[in-house]
Amino acid sequence: MIFGKRPLQARMGKITRLCKSWLLLALFFSSFSIMAEAQGKQPSLRLAHPSIFLKDEDGKNVLSTNKAISTRQTCGACHDYAFITDSFHFQQGKNEMNPGLMKGHGFAGFNTSPGMFGKFSILPNRQLTPVGVANPGDVDLTQPEWLTKCGVCHTGGGISEFDLHGHRLLTADAKPHGPLDPSYTIRDRITGKVVPWDWQKSGITEADCFICHAPKASRGDRREVVAAGNFRWANNATLAKSDIVVKDTKGNFTYNRKAFNADGTVKSEILNLSDPPLENCAQCHGFSARNASTIQPIQHADILRGTEKAGWIYNGSKISETVSPRIVGKEKMDYPWDVHAAKGLGCIDCHFSPNNPGRKFQGDSEKHLSYKPVGEGIAEYLKRPDHNFARGNIPPETVNITRHNTMRGCAECHDAEKTHAFLPYKTQHFKALACQTCHISEVHFWAYRSDEWGFLMDTGASRITFRGIRGDIVDPDSEIIGFKPAYVSTPAKDGHLEIRPTNLITGLYWFDKTKGRPVFTWQIQKAFFLDRQVGGGWEYRPEIVKAFGDKDGIIDFPQARYDTPEKIALVKRLLLEHVGIADPELRIEVVPWAMSHSTMGKAQAIKDCKACHAKNSILRRPMELNDFLPKGVPVYYAGKQVNVVDQSGKEPTFDNRSLLRSFYIIGNSRVLWVEILGWLSVAGALLFSFIHGFIRILGAKKS
Amino acid sequence: MTTSTEPLYSLHERVWHWIQAVALVLLVLTGFAIHFPDRFGIFGSMVHALAWHSVIGFALIANAFLGLFYHFTAEKYHHFLPKMDDFTEGAVRQARFYLYGIFKGEPHPFETNSRHKLNPLQRVTYLSLLNILLPYQILTGLLMWGVTRWPSTFQKVGGLTVLGPAHSLGSYLFLAFLIGHIYLATTGKTPFSLLRAMITGFEESGHRKE
Repeated sequence: MIFGKRPLQARMGKITRLCKSWLLLALFFSSFSIMAEAQGKQPSLRLAHPSIFLKDEDGKNVLSTNKAISTRQTCGACHDYAFITDSFHFQQGKNEMNPGLMKGHGFAGFNTSPGMFGKFSILPNRQLTPVGVANPGDVDLTQPEWLTKCGVCHTGGGISEFDLHGHRLLTADAKPHGPLDPSYTIRDRITGKVVPWDWQKSGITEADCFICHAPKASRGDRREVVAAGNFRWANNATLAKSDIVVKDTKGNFTYNRKAFNADGTVKSEILNLSDPPLENCAQCHGFSARNASTIQPIQHADILRGTEKAGWIYNGSKISETVSPRIVGKEKMDYPWDVHAAKGLGCIDCHFSPNNPGRKFQGDSEKHLSYKPVGEGIAEYLKRPDHNFARGNIPPETVNITRHNTMRGCAECHDAEKTHAFLPYKTQHFKALACQTCHISEVHFWAYRSDEWGFLMDTGASRITFRGIRGDIVDPDSEIIGFKPAYVSTPAKDGHLEIRPTNLITGLYWFDKTKGRPVFTWQIQKAFFLDRQVGGGWEYRPEIVKAFGDKDGIIDFPQARYDTPEKIALVKRLLLEHVGIADPELRIEVVPWAMSHSTMGKAQAIKDCKACHAKNSILRRPMELNDFLPKGVPVYYAGKQVNVVDQSGKEPTFDNRSLLRSFYIIGNSRVLWVEILGWLSVAGALLFSFIHGFIRILGAKKS
Repeated sequence: MTTSTEPLYSLHERVWHWIQAVALVLLVLTGFAIHFPDRFGIFGSMVHALAWHSVIGFALIANAFLGLFYHFTAEKYHHFLPKMDDFTEGAVRQARFYLYGIFKGEPHPFETNSRHKLNPLQRVTYLSLLNILLPYQILTGLLMWGVTRWPSTFQKVGGLTVLGPAHSLGSYLFLAFLIGHIYLATTGKTPFSLLRAMITGFEESGHRKE
């Protein structure tokens, strides 16, 4: 027994008290660190978590058992594990699977949650299988498969611990409800059959506290074991680069005793638990660094989400100082990638824990208090830190839907009235426009442009195109030219609509009108390809090659498009013949990805009125979409059928007129009948004057 | 030609008229700079055009109220009131003159003097202009200018999506009026007699030489 002679409970109580004291001190020190960072200095003091025991699922020190670390036992000894993991990083919608909630927020019926665990997105074109399916044909993404694909970032606990019936996996209550229970099955990639998932073998993943709180967390190692379905060891893998955990040549994890103190606790300076540094957030959310001259948003074969979708780079260094990749025109970009990053703000400065006494809103709106001197103490916060972090309202991110706009808005830190002296009608401008509209007027990186699952390439997957780059995203010689955003309207904190910049990602996908849901990827694969052999590749059906390929029998990029109604009809027929989908419909969906990072300072922000108030207003900018889009198919925007694609030109472009209908942009907006009537009256007056005057002159000459 | 001894337009009327005229022209120009900022940048930035538009707008409002005050206190408002007993007959006579008689060198159907300054068509036109179009334009303009001061009123009338086009339409109608007004000002006894009258106060007497 490494804990010594005293009873475990007594020792744990002391540890808890110690934890609280240390954390109180640490919080005090961390305020210094924030101040130092704000002044552009390296923090001299850093939050120091006390030394802890790493425990296994039985509460025993892993040094003695060599079992996987249990964060429920380790971290849960002081912190309220259940409270913490009942939040969106761990649940991704699992705790929001409420049909009433979904209906109330206007989600299509085929979505089961507002989060990534339950909501259909065109990007992976996958749909979580709901509980209660009876037909194997209704099974798409199951819980185990979701974890192998998404579990690297979605940090254990919640989805990784509990089945869709609410039972903790690997407990006596956790049993499949039928042979197709989505918590206990997976569709075999080769045979296409739905087979049981062996939770005993995979284990479960408890909340991975380390991936956010341990500075040396390794997302790459975690990804490897999660993708292999080795969930039990996921949290150990996260520590693979910390010197605490050692990975042997067989991929097994053991513990490095040198990282532990004599009393069995892990050395605090090695584990180094702290408030999440931005580098940890960056591992999943988007390229973020305090001062990086090399921008590499592709890590462990994944493109970091925020960069991928909206092109944001949260980096304090100047764009002009970028060494790699090649940013076209960087010589003139003598300003930081993000002005907030340059000022030393970390992610948690804005996306804080809502009950953190140092950061939370101190008022009480229900009692009309702008400052509330009493409230939850720091001890309570340390015990139960709310992990539903403050956030804005970023389309199309709808997870944690009842807690949007919980972070401070720009105006709650900046006094915009004082810094926008040049701007007339400030209140109107600030109401109609999100700050990002002028302060993220351009993105100097690449991002997704389209992802088409409606036509599968010979990899069995979609075709993805990017905007803002000349060349391939992995080619170091590619030139990054950046792009200018499109503008859409989204609800602000008080519910009114405001205009904000977005990247647009266009998807092409098939919809099963009979079932009222998107056609699953495996179904499209069956329609497009011959049966796949073990170890074999994807081979198009002859009908597909004949219709789409050229003389060489290969379907190249330019040919992989639905440019005739006959090609659409062919795929419809194949979907009927091979998958039994009687009424499929090809759809276009344009998804806006709002931008809130890569923020520019005042020198780069838009100040020219004519940028917006002119015929060629940027607010009506016709952003080019995917040039492979077919004509004559329904267009969806943000889940609703709205035609936002203008196909009248050479290339399809985004047409936001219907989205900005409620905005009258002086100098740009025109009401057609007003203009016609107005100019007719002016022309009529001129015409009358000329004709009348002319006849008068003629009459005068005659007389 | 001779000149009458009693002024057709008093000094007050002339000053009021020219302030109104200059203000209207400037409002149209600055309005164009706001409505077509990329094609009509004569005031520099849109901010300048907007600032001038507001200042001139208030000058016009003040002048309009002074005019109203003057016309009531000097009991000159009756110049603008159509005489209902013979309005139709008079309007037809005036219209016939504009559409036919003027080309034949016929005399003006109505003599103008300090007591009868406006013909029936002018009366109804100016009455509408000063009592409908001008207040309408002032109201829509004021509401837009005062969006930050009276936001709820602004929203109640439909916000910028209603007020913007409404004010634009009024501006076009004012421009059309200005064009017609300037042209018809040449239809006096000589092409410049009416203009001269509005400057000096006196109109040349005698009929137009055709």
